[in-house]
Amino acid sequence: MTLIFAISGIALNHIHQWNSNYDVTQTKVKIALLATKINQTDFEPWLLTQLNESGIIKARFWQDKDTYKLFIKNKTLFVLPKQNLVMIEEVKPRVLLRQLNFLHLNEAKKAWTWFSDLYAFMLIFLALSSMFMIKGKRSVFGKRSIIVLAGFAAPAGFVIYYAS
Amino acid sequence: MKFNLKLNLIIGSFLLTSINAEAKEFNGGADMTILTPVSKVLAQPENYYVIPTTIMGTVVKVCQKRGCWMQLASDKAYETLTIKVPDGKMVFPMADMGKTAYATGVLNAIELTLAQTNQRLKSQDKPSVTEPMTLYRFSPTGVTIVD
Repeated sequence: MTLIFAISGIALNHIHQWNSNYDVTQTKVKIALLATKINQTDFEPWLLTQLNESGIIKARFWQDKDTYKLFIKNKTLFVLPKQNLVMIEEVKPRVLLRQLNFLHLNEAKKAWTWFSDLYAFMLIFLALSSMFMIKGKRSVFGKRSIIVLAGFAAPAGFVIYYAS
Repeated sequence: MKFNLKLNLIIGSFLLTSINAEAKEFNGGADMTILTPVSKVLAQPENYYVIPTTIMGTVVKVCQKRGCWMQLASDKAYETLTIKVPDGKMVFPMADMGKTAYATGVLNAIELTLAQTNQRLKSQDKPSVTEPMTLYRFSPTGVTIVD
């Protein structure tokens, strides 16, 4: 559980630099006579044959006057008839990281919420109880209180610096 | 020790397999009884700022990183409406592109300044204008996505 939150925490912190949820690839394919073919009734099966795609077209949409989008499973085909060009955008969920992010962001909701709450309470208990496990000179009320204070100081410092 | 290991494996495999099941409803799903075409919502936006309605459209674009917005195709050519949620409230999977989404909620109007308008148009390779534009975003309380 700690690894789930730690690994996905790093992945989510840096999601603007690197998409840890999906691997998105784009491939451009030049196809002759696209502008002529797009107005014909057999355009879609013809295009799929040209692209060696076997998927079923789920939906289609004119994004603008120059771009026609076709959707097949995990792929979007951007058809640019004026340029005789098709851009194939493929979306593949990343193995494990997608699942870890899914759990971290509580997309599952339901029982996972309670399960992760329970884990969080156990972590809180671990953190608080550990402070009182050692008695005497080496207790949290002695010199070691500096370590506890340092633990509070680090996040407090960031809040004061960035939130003010 | 062996028992704990087995228990951890059972819990772990349950969690990892259960998340592959496609989530079709977000936050209880959309209310299908108050369906309004996107073109009608955008033609008279002021009617939908307070009273909730349900819009429907093909998912044509999804936020790649956080899944916090998706663009729905309107029933009118070249028109789309973006539905946007605060990060984490609902997470729309990219794999849902091409599916049909129903979203219940209200419309938000964002008044852009002239500079913001032209900056936006420039990023879309469109000519600049002299009047600022209003951007519309749909804030859903429930969403249903069907294949």
